Amino acid sequence: MRHVRFQGGHLAAAVPSSPEPLSLEPRLEERLASLLRSGRLLHTLVDALGSPLNVVLPDQIAENAERFRAAYGTRHLGGQVFFAHKANRSSALVRRLAAADAAVDVASLGELQHALGAGFTPDRIMATGPKNPEFLWLAARTGVTVNVDSYGELEALATLVRERELARIRVLLRLSAFDGPGVRVLSRPSRFGSPAGELEQLLKAVERHADAVELIGVGYHLDTTSLDEKARALEGCVRAMDACRGRGLRPRVVDIGGGFGVNYLAHGAQWERYTSALTAAVLGRRPAITWRGHGYGLRNDAGTLRGSLALYPAHRPVAGDRYLDELLSLPAPSFGGRPLATLLLENLYDLYTEPGRALVDQCGLVLARVLEVRRTDGGEHLVRLGMKADDAGLEEHGVLMDPVLLARDGVRATCGGEPVGVYLAGSLCLEADLITRRMVFLPRLPRPGELLGFANTAGYCMDFQTSGAQHQPVARKVAAWQEEGSWHWCLDEQYWPITRPGGER
Amino acid sequence: MRYDSITEAIGNTPLVRIDPAVHGLRHIDLYAKLELLNPFGSVKDRAAWHMARAGLADAVAHGSQVVELSSGNTAKALAVIAGMHGLSFKSVTNRMRIPEIKDLLLLLGAEIEELPGQSECLDPTNTDDPLTLFHRELSGLGHSYLHTDQYFNARNTEAHTTGTGPEIVKDLDGRAPDWFIACVGTAGSSTGVARVLREHDPRVRVVGLVAGKADFIPGIRTLDEVHEVGLFDPDTYDTMESVSSDEAIEGMLTLARRCGILAGPTGGAAYYGTVRHLQAWDDELTSGQGSAAARGARRSAVFIVCDRIESYLGYTRQRRPDLFHQPPRRNAVADLTAAEIASAGAIDTQDAQKWMVQERPLVVDLRSPFAYAALHIEGAINIVDELFEELVRGGLPFGKQQPVLLVCPVGEQSARYAALLTRMGHPDVRSLSGGVIAWRDAGAPLVRE
Ligand SMILES: Cc1ncc(COP(=O)(O)O)c(C=O)c1O
Repeated sequence: MRHVRFQGGHLAAAVPSSPEPLSLEPRLEERLASLLRSGRLLHTLVDALGSPLNVVLPDQIAENAERFRAAYGTRHLGGQVFFAHKANRSSALVRRLAAADAAVDVASLGELQHALGAGFTPDRIMATGPKNPEFLWLAARTGVTVNVDSYGELEALATLVRERELARIRVLLRLSAFDGPGVRVLSRPSRFGSPAGELEQLLKAVERHADAVELIGVGYHLDTTSLDEKARALEGCVRAMDACRGRGLRPRVVDIGGGFGVNYLAHGAQWERYTSALTAAVLGRRPAITWRGHGYGLRNDAGTLRGSLALYPAHRPVAGDRYLDELLSLPAPSFGGRPLATLLLENLYDLYTEPGRALVDQCGLVLARVLEVRRTDGGEHLVRLGMKADDAGLEEHGVLMDPVLLARDGVRATCGGEPVGVYLAGSLCLEADLITRRMVFLPRLPRPGELLGFANTAGYCMDFQTSGAQHQPVARKVAAWQEEGSWHWCLDEQYWPITRPGGER
Repeated sequence: MRYDSITEAIGNTPLVRIDPAVHGLRHIDLYAKLELLNPFGSVKDRAAWHMARAGLADAVAHGSQVVELSSGNTAKALAVIAGMHGLSFKSVTNRMRIPEIKDLLLLLGAEIEELPGQSECLDPTNTDDPLTLFHRELSGLGHSYLHTDQYFNARNTEAHTTGTGPEIVKDLDGRAPDWFIACVGTAGSSTGVARVLREHDPRVRVVGLVAGKADFIPGIRTLDEVHEVGLFDPDTYDTMESVSSDEAIEGMLTLARRCGILAGPTGGAAYYGTVRHLQAWDDELTSGQGSAAARGARRSAVFIVCDRIESYLGYTRQRRPDLFHQPPRRNAVADLTAAEIASAGAIDTQDAQKWMVQERPLVVDLRSPFAYAALHIEGAINIVDELFEELVRGGLPFGKQQPVLLVCPVGEQSARYAALLTRMGHPDVRSLSGGVIAWRDAGAPLVRE
């Protein structure tokens, strides 16, 4: 460009080598913001329990479940919201949900045991994903609903029920690879579920095993942010349900899986500015803003940008219950353009959802102590933390967000002067152990002993892949809640919704 | 004019002066290059024909399929050209967000494949983006494709260095304009035209227009996205500016209503961006800065109108519902008060069953035909709510002697219609409270036909 003129502020990010800090402020709802204002407590906790430390907010997950419920309610839809347990290991979160109007989706033997132990009765548990024999047995034994992943699994389940003389078990069929009318929508191939084209074969098996299994519905879980793909799958499910009814079966449930997303950032403009700057940096039009010029999937091919941005779309104006609402409002072209919610309601179907990430939105915080601040040979600030990259897997999941800096006196550092760009290193003796490969802008240079708080990590980014590598401790986890205007806490495994440490509520 | 083939009608589009009373620039003559008058409807006819022509004979010999990543206009032109030569055409894209264009393409016989959305649970090490997969498929064995590759094909630009650019110079009596303004999609038209104009006069200033980052104007890229285009070279443009979808529609309205140019949103964006950009220069010329010679002289500017308005009614309605004001409706459910709805006759499942035996009311199921066919109350007739709404607008659709039971999923909609029919004078209309769902839950029979 010979020169750049800016109009309407849209292109401000294109200024080459602009010195402005590329902040990505986390979105903080009141409960999490309030916890972060209680910095003294957080320091005490880390002093006592070590760094890193995970904090979960059980009351928030109950509130999130209510919001999903409300999206059902405005459309008169019955059914249930199943928390996809895989998003977080916490007992407190699951126990709190057990006391709310919600259910749980378990994807392993361990998760099923945990859900049962947390107070969920089998009618509020659904087993999803591919299952090993023990998982399948405990599911059938306790009578939870089984979301059947494949033809083979259906056969195995029916055999198990019959041979062990267990009660008839409720099943859903998980379908994939839907096609629909009009334009073909390509979907990422999935390793899970049965192709919708094999429904006939599955239904024959359901009928053959009528003594052992009761078909209550069909469903899907698509790994995509695209509403259109999901709308098409939902239509496909309604067609599949009709095929079931046509054979005399009476299923009632359409399960639309998870993947409702989270909005991680407070400001869309920061996200736009950051991704524009990243593009410019990859193309060499501004200085690097990532460790060794990492491109997050983008590369410079003789001046043309290639590859695709391997980052979670961190600013999402429509996420969680609002995404569900939007999906349910979409028209179903093969059913006269009626909204999907109307389609479900008119056909007397219940709706199941399995939100994971979206249900733990604003439910978690990872705290780490600053151990050392120094300069690299290249003159960059390097901050070493008392944690490993896998303790807050933001980078691993492509979620970019600034941590919050908490001074020793408990006060959150605010931007007085010029923010500083730093790189955050972990505590493993590996060059690759960077908490994030992005240069993070903090209000000022941190000091050893201060805390960095990574907000909103409860969905997959808290303990999804923590390891005990190098004999470094795995983070302890505490549950925190507000009562009478102040914050209280206990170890995650000590939390029960009715009692508090020291007695009943 | 007499032609042997419609493709001969591509190009030689008019350059039309915009009335200064409309744009308000005092020293600059503004011209629109009317690419919407190409036979298939857009500027892309030129590139599509120029790119495809070279490979057509070979493609016909091998029965190849023509493929392109296109969000609309290029696909439209290629679909026609492929069809004229007995070939099939496939468009692959996830940028096609205009339903009317999708339908038109299907009508023209095109095959459309939409690329999947982004993964919700990201694998940052996965480098197989959908486009990579697409290219891999194209280069796979056993297939024969004519891939026109508009974002990287030099013939795209060439269509404009040999056509659009020289036409502008010719119509300006051999001179280049002082400014050239174009929206950037594939960058083909702006790059090609700019090259020709600069050869005539290196002082010509070129403005590239893009959409705001979170915004959407069909056919235009955003400032980040243009970098993914092989034909895009930042040095082509003296400046890049962004236009919002609201501004594009504003420009579109001005062109249509005041200039008689039925341009689509990109034409509107080009007009809006042009006037906005030139205003400052025009003021400067008025205030008399610069040389005395520069003062009196008139300047000229050319912008491109890419395509036509017709396909963008839905797009416009979504953003500017005010432009589609509907006349007030008679007998509309929307006019009912909450009190009227609350006092509408309701009847529960148990009483309804008795009533049906005694009075034989007409049972009207307001759900969609699909849901009705799947399961309904025996003897009910199906009039889907949308149709029912149309029907009652003209008056009561059945006699006042005939009792009526209205049925919907939960009894909410049927209550509204019961209230409306009551207001219209029907003496005995009731709504099944709780709807079919309550009916089912009470164990009352439903049939399937
Ligand atoms: C079957 C199923 N349901 C629900 C989820 C949760 O998805 P999310 O956390 O994106 O809401 C997953 C995630 O992998 C899944 O496989």
